[in-house]
Amino acid sequence: MKVGFIGLGVMGRPMALHLRRAGYELFVWARRTAGVADLPATLCATPAELGRYCDVVFTMITSSADVEAVALGPDGLIEGMAPESVLVDCSTIAPETARQIAGKLKAHGIHMLDAPVSGGAQGAIDATLAIMVGGDAAILARLQPLLECLGQRIVHVGSNGAGQVAKACNQMIMVAAIQAVAEAMRLAQASGVDCGKVRQALAGGSAASRVLDVMGERMVRRDFSAGIEARLHHKDFGLVLEAARKIGVPTPLTASIGQQLNALMAQGWGQDDTASLLRVLEGQ
Amino acid sequence: MKIGFLGLGIMGRPMALNLLKGGHVLTVWARRAESMQPLLDAGAQAAAGPAELAAQVDLVISMVADAPDVAEVMRGVAQGARPGLVAVDMSTIAPAAARRIGEELAAAGVDFVDAPVSGGEVGAIAGSLSIMAGGSDAAFARAKPAFECMGKNIVHVGASGAGQVTKAANQIVTGMGVLAVAEAFAFAAKNGVDRSKVREALLGGFASSRILENHGQRMLDRNFKPGFKSWMHEKDLNIVMQTAHELGLCLPGSAATAQMFNAMVGSGLGEEDSVAVLKLLESLSGQA
Repeated sequence: MKVGFIGLGVMGRPMALHLRRAGYELFVWARRTAGVADLPATLCATPAELGRYCDVVFTMITSSADVEAVALGPDGLIEGMAPESVLVDCSTIAPETARQIAGKLKAHGIHMLDAPVSGGAQGAIDATLAIMVGGDAAILARLQPLLECLGQRIVHVGSNGAGQVAKACNQMIMVAAIQAVAEAMRLAQASGVDCGKVRQALAGGSAASRVLDVMGERMVRRDFSAGIEARLHHKDFGLVLEAARKIGVPTPLTASIGQQLNALMAQGWGQDDTASLLRVLEGQ
Repeated sequence: MKIGFLGLGIMGRPMALNLLKGGHVLTVWARRAESMQPLLDAGAQAAAGPAELAAQVDLVISMVADAPDVAEVMRGVAQGARPGLVAVDMSTIAPAAARRIGEELAAAGVDFVDAPVSGGEVGAIAGSLSIMAGGSDAAFARAKPAFECMGKNIVHVGASGAGQVTKAANQIVTGMGVLAVAEAFAFAAKNGVDRSKVREALLGGFASSRILENHGQRMLDRNFKPGFKSWMHEKDLNIVMQTAHELGLCLPGSAATAQMFNAMVGSGLGEEDSVAVLKLLESLSGQA
């Protein structure tokens, strides 16, 4: 099977390499070719050309607009992909955008799965990503072996867009947990108590969590290098809040944390880790 | 002056009527023909569309629902415009959208003013709206005689987009203001204290405001008829929150308030006046 990959950043690159290692012939396209020249893959001139060669195309791109452009724009995948081929979009975008793209591809007989992931760069390298899938179950079944090259927990959440809804839920819970840990660390610090000891004590009880473990440790060590760049969480919170308002669902905590992320961006920490929410509190 | 008016809803209709009363020659267009009728009865001419309307007048005013509507009618205006035309949009849209529309019109030789209003249907009928304008001095001067027929407090705030920034700031203050009064009333009631007495006492001190006076009275009367519909306030606060997101601006109070309006829309209160936020608070606290 021939596999295309577009979006070869910190996440996409290791994911593409896993697919190559599993024996799939790899085709890539990138806006700046210099970044992908070393990959064991055929470099294509446009997404449309890549689409012509491939049975399955993965995308891992930052913004809704960019995914739309690559899929539907001039020289986009839609111009090259054959009927019955599949686009697997691993990007985090608005559920509504995912549904719209799927609808337009379907009119050309092209299938789409929205398959956003959680687990960060480390999860991509270790092939331990959680993958939340929206789309046709039969198509997912067909691609299951490919997704298993990338992650361990692959859940079919529902129809197109459902994967993105699950990812939005993931981001809400994760960043809220980071904020909770940051506030707890700030309280300990301001009370003159050792943050590291507090974290250690909490890790044994009901407040234990992966975020307390990983982000808490970063906060204790004051290591704010990314990890996950905070600007991406900021972007995702824009998507989540927009999706929630469109259906009239109140999300007061998410909205409040969105403001802390705005403050983080204003301080110029967008490229640092989201553990920087601690630094926002220290400045308030 | 020959003025064209696009969009004749709850706000647009009385605003256009006041232009006629002010002695201006008026041409109108609205998507639904029946909304033009009251203006035609009062002496206005009908146009077949925004382009045809723009070709006949010196000043175009739009009052429509949202940014895509403004962009669409202004595209028509740009097609039909005579040299030297000034276009004024009095709808409430995002500052960034207003700037974009201003640039597109400038490319067609049309000078643009964003001039959103505050004061609601009552102010529109009375000709007492607050008008906050953004655009060049020359364009503002051209539009001013029209503004004076529709409003009282007319401020030229700054360049293109500045009017919408001011309106967004207005919606921050009024949104939080209505919520603050509703919370104070819910607080008083749960404590078994007469809220009308609370309102009366507060009006004498630093918490006194037009919102406490007018919106507060409507809450006491349980008069939830719009006025200003909650879903529109939610829309305006979304403009605030999106702009804050783009700029990296921390607005915790606005964010909390926007969520309350979001909940109103989700729980079926969207068509009621924004003072109905009191009902939402009461049901959350078991006071319903």
